[in-house]
Amino acid sequence: MSASETAGSLAERPTGPPKEVTTWKTRIRWIYKLKGLTPFVAALLIWWLTWEIWQPHERILVSPAEVWSALVALVREGILSAYIEQSLKRLAFGVMVGVGVGVPLGWLIGLNRSLADASEPVLRFFNSVSGIAWLPLLILWFGFTERTITAIIVYTMLFPVLFNAMIGVRTVPDRLSQATRTLGAGRLRVVRDVYMPGSFPSVMTGVRLGIGFGWRALIAGEFVVGGGGLGFLIFNARTQGLISEIIGGMLVLGLLWLALDRLILQPIEQYTTVRWGLVRL
Amino acid sequence: MTDSNGGRAGAASAAPATITVDDLSHWFVSEQSGQTVHALDQVDLAIQPGEFVTVVGPSGCGKSTLLNILAGFIKPSYGTALVNGRPITKPGPDRGVVFQELAILPWRTVYRNISHGLEIQKVPKTERDERVAGLTQLVGLEGFENHYPHQLSGGMKQRVAVARTWASDPDIILMDEPFAAVDAMTRLTLQEELNRLTLATKKTVFFITHSVEEAVFLGDRVVAMSARPGRIKAEVPVPGDRRDRTWEVMSNNQDLQGCVEEVLGLVRDEAGEQEIAH
Repeated sequence: MSASETAGSLAERPTGPPKEVTTWKTRIRWIYKLKGLTPFVAALLIWWLTWEIWQPHERILVSPAEVWSALVALVREGILSAYIEQSLKRLAFGVMVGVGVGVPLGWLIGLNRSLADASEPVLRFFNSVSGIAWLPLLILWFGFTERTITAIIVYTMLFPVLFNAMIGVRTVPDRLSQATRTLGAGRLRVVRDVYMPGSFPSVMTGVRLGIGFGWRALIAGEFVVGGGGLGFLIFNARTQGLISEIIGGMLVLGLLWLALDRLILQPIEQYTTVRWGLVRL
Repeated sequence: MTDSNGGRAGAASAAPATITVDDLSHWFVSEQSGQTVHALDQVDLAIQPGEFVTVVGPSGCGKSTLLNILAGFIKPSYGTALVNGRPITKPGPDRGVVFQELAILPWRTVYRNISHGLEIQKVPKTERDERVAGLTQLVGLEGFENHYPHQLSGGMKQRVAVARTWASDPDIILMDEPFAAVDAMTRLTLQEELNRLTLATKKTVFFITHSVEEAVFLGDRVVAMSARPGRIKAEVPVPGDRRDRTWEVMSNNQDLQGCVEEVLGLVRDEAGEQEIAH
């Protein structure tokens, strides 16, 4: 589409792809790479305009600038980093347990037809009873402790993780296990070499969903249980009517999730399922 | 010799055939319709060591069922299927299978796919490397050892499948339309290579195909099957030595062309009868 300076001279055959000519379009191309930011900018603008035009009472809505200064104060005092650390530690522990229990259980159910028939109704039943609905009971059993928070994260994650691991095993083509059996593989070997890696894309979907659900359950848990964490920050700010801290905390929740997804979950998928050609990004 | 099928005594008489199928019948319940399908009816077949037998027949004639029985994926309803005089009970590395669809593992590189069977049989690493290197060269995959299957063309993927099967060095190779999904030019090359490879490694081959030309080109003998329930309608020996066969020879040789016509006639009759039956 470009590079036609020396047209006509047949002797000069191009030795490579046509060179790109710098135009104003190519100069602003880097902006396109940031197009994911546009909705955020728009939302921020709408928020600011609403606040500017409406001029609401400070117990209803505050300006973006006020939220920013509240966040800066929280960072200065070292509260934000401490709370983020606490929430992430709780999440990490819950995820370890949830994935450690959910994935093997899902594989087991996916591989065994009669076990699946026996367990599906009860799994669907508990899946519909949300983790938050368990909070009153959990508090009665474990009190306002870390155990309650872990339990609600694990419970909430368990179902998406388990169901997706189960589906992952079931969608592995029969031909792959048959072919592996003809190489002399026994049942366990087929599970290890075919079903486990074959279910991986689905397992990753489940883990991603599960961590997302677990993240929300964690915040709900921290609302009630307290003892630090981002959920506690947001809920506690309410008692003092600090709208700026509530909104600031919510922003941190969303941003933290984006970072988690980009820095941890996506690279794992890139290294496995994308490399194997099972998923296209 | 143990006969777990509890049927007839093994047919290990004078010259033991590599594969012996004796009075084999099979019924199965179709998952779609829930109806009982009579797939195979009184099939008798003997394949001698080193023989290349090709099977043609209309769709649903039970040829894949027969392969599944020989591979050990399913148990026949009636009759016996023996390998080297022993009843088939389960899949094993003595019978390699190459499927039509892609059946190599997407998460393993070319190297790791080919060496998979050797890993399972606990062949030491150095010997494994040696054998895989030899095979990648034999099937023309040098330089692609670290590629993943999705980075390869259809023909190359089937080369990986063939190399993987050959790696365990089975005496018997079962092939279910292995070149059906490969483009026409590549298919011609793969067929010639398979001919050479099976001769050089002295394999006994059971090869299913839809293409009569392919059946005649590759086979020592062509087995034509009838429409459901599958019976063996005729066995046609292919004239000449398959050592000398290339596609060039094939297109200029009257005997071979005559053989193609004969088998085509058999298959055409079947297709006609099937139309009327429907």
